[in-house]
Amino acid sequence: MMQLIQRKWKSGLVKTLMVLYALITLYPLIWLFMSSVKSNEEFYSRPFLLPTKWHWDSFSRAWNVSDMGTGMINSIIVTGISLVLTLVIAALAAYVLSRFQFRFKLLVMGLFLLGMLIPIHSTLVPLFIMMNQTHLLNTYGALIFPYVAFELPIAIFILQAYMNTFPREIEEAAFLDGMGYWGIFRKMMLPLSAPALSTVAILAVLRYWNDFSFALVFISKPALKTLPLSLSMFATGYMTDYQLTMAALAMAVIPTIIVYLVFQRSIMQGMVAGAVKG
Amino acid sequence: MTSASRTKAFIAVGLLPALLLFVLFVILPIIWSAYYGFFDWKGIGAATFIGFDNYTEVVKDPIFWTSLKNNMLIVIASVFGQVPIALVLALLLVKNSRLHTFIRSAVFMPMVLSSVVVGIIWGYIYHPEIGILNFLLDGIGLGSWKKEWLSDPDVSMYSLMVPIIWNYIGPYLIMFIAALNNIPSEMDDAAKIDGAEGSRKLFSVTLPLVWDTIKVAVVLCISGSLKAFDLIYVMTGGGPAHSTELLASYMYNNTFSIYRYGYGSAVSTVIIIISLLLVAGSQYLMKRGDRL
Repeated sequence: MMQLIQRKWKSGLVKTLMVLYALITLYPLIWLFMSSVKSNEEFYSRPFLLPTKWHWDSFSRAWNVSDMGTGMINSIIVTGISLVLTLVIAALAAYVLSRFQFRFKLLVMGLFLLGMLIPIHSTLVPLFIMMNQTHLLNTYGALIFPYVAFELPIAIFILQAYMNTFPREIEEAAFLDGMGYWGIFRKMMLPLSAPALSTVAILAVLRYWNDFSFALVFISKPALKTLPLSLSMFATGYMTDYQLTMAALAMAVIPTIIVYLVFQRSIMQGMVAGAVKG
Repeated sequence: MTSASRTKAFIAVGLLPALLLFVLFVILPIIWSAYYGFFDWKGIGAATFIGFDNYTEVVKDPIFWTSLKNNMLIVIASVFGQVPIALVLALLLVKNSRLHTFIRSAVFMPMVLSSVVVGIIWGYIYHPEIGILNFLLDGIGLGSWKKEWLSDPDVSMYSLMVPIIWNYIGPYLIMFIAALNNIPSEMDDAAKIDGAEGSRKLFSVTLPLVWDTIKVAVVLCISGSLKAFDLIYVMTGGGPAHSTELLASYMYNNTFSIYRYGYGSAVSTVIIIISLLLVAGSQYLMKRGDRL
């Protein structure tokens, strides 16, 4: 009996500690949302408490001041185009690498493998110089092309590994029906790879949506700024208007958190798969 | 067209877009940066060939070594911060109960946030006058511990470790939970029959079985350590007095703040060499560990 009570106590204690840990982990976010509706005075006079008066106006003010609408639209355009390009180009290459034998196959795969080992930041300077000379700076292409290029290796490896598991018989049957390679790619490989494609899509969208360093270096025109870039102006310019900054951050974070809550299982698994392979 | 040449054409067309983008935007910049590294160049006007001068200047610059040291500190913080915390959490969160899934989601959450957001939030937490950290210390009677967390060069780098660890624990946690779930249940039964319980079971059964995953996690920490640029750029910009400079921010500041494109290119090349050495080194250590 004593032992049972002791065990109950122990598991209760562990549970309490775990919940405490989760709250500490979430606290920066909780604090962010709480502060976004507080006045600047209450931000530091009542840092841990809920506001006495809720200020919702900061959201519209922050939206206008940082021109977040433009940032959102640019982020959606850049992320969307990059995502489609990544999926199509990577799936096509993965299909070729998974199903055909040819002379330079090992060389091609080795090249992509090398690409996964190169830290993205180390190419900022040469890419900036190259894009400056080709007048690609300050265009959507300045973000889309490098995004896709850097995401390709991991996307190809995930898709290729998945396609390798398909039995060859399905294609042979399709061949007999007179289907060509393009037909097989469009009507069989793409639909069958849906789970792997969604993993790739999750990894890619998060990376494109959140990217800061490429946008920082390659985009200086205000009309082309992506969301992280329009937020970063708060890091320098508006740091003293806490309410405004916190409201802007909250608005930027809410869509990401909603997406995360909906897809959390596949996001977690996708990011782990991406990390381990990359 | 014959069927063989049709196959060849398909292979070529299928690989072309991927190879073209990849070579133009990943491989070519690396080659260019090695080349530009031999020039003194301000971005406009003529570039002067100066041989290995940029590269020797990199190696002689104490700030470069501070940056490298800071990158290594991040590796150490990740290996001895993220990995153990994630492992302990995984051991406690292995069940699929509602509470456990909730805590897992909470720990993973920072991974999906933009590092600009994370950087600004933590910048406020550390703020000397209005930050909640100093408020908290005052509140629990430890007012003497209050610090200028990000503007005191002696502590700034260590202050940055906390958000870095906080941000990246999630994937390791999920990896470890997956590894723990892969332990066959017969192992548990066998351990029970042998009378191994509690800490003895942990050290003689569980840990050896997830050891391979721990090694993968360590390799990931090492290669991931070069990715912290965004967070640090937002929070400190490499300052004060270069105390939080990383290799990437050192490169950024030299190129885009003082317009030394040649020198920045040389630093880029050095970063690539260092990261390839790090990856090769950690792979080698892991392989050797296997034989022991």
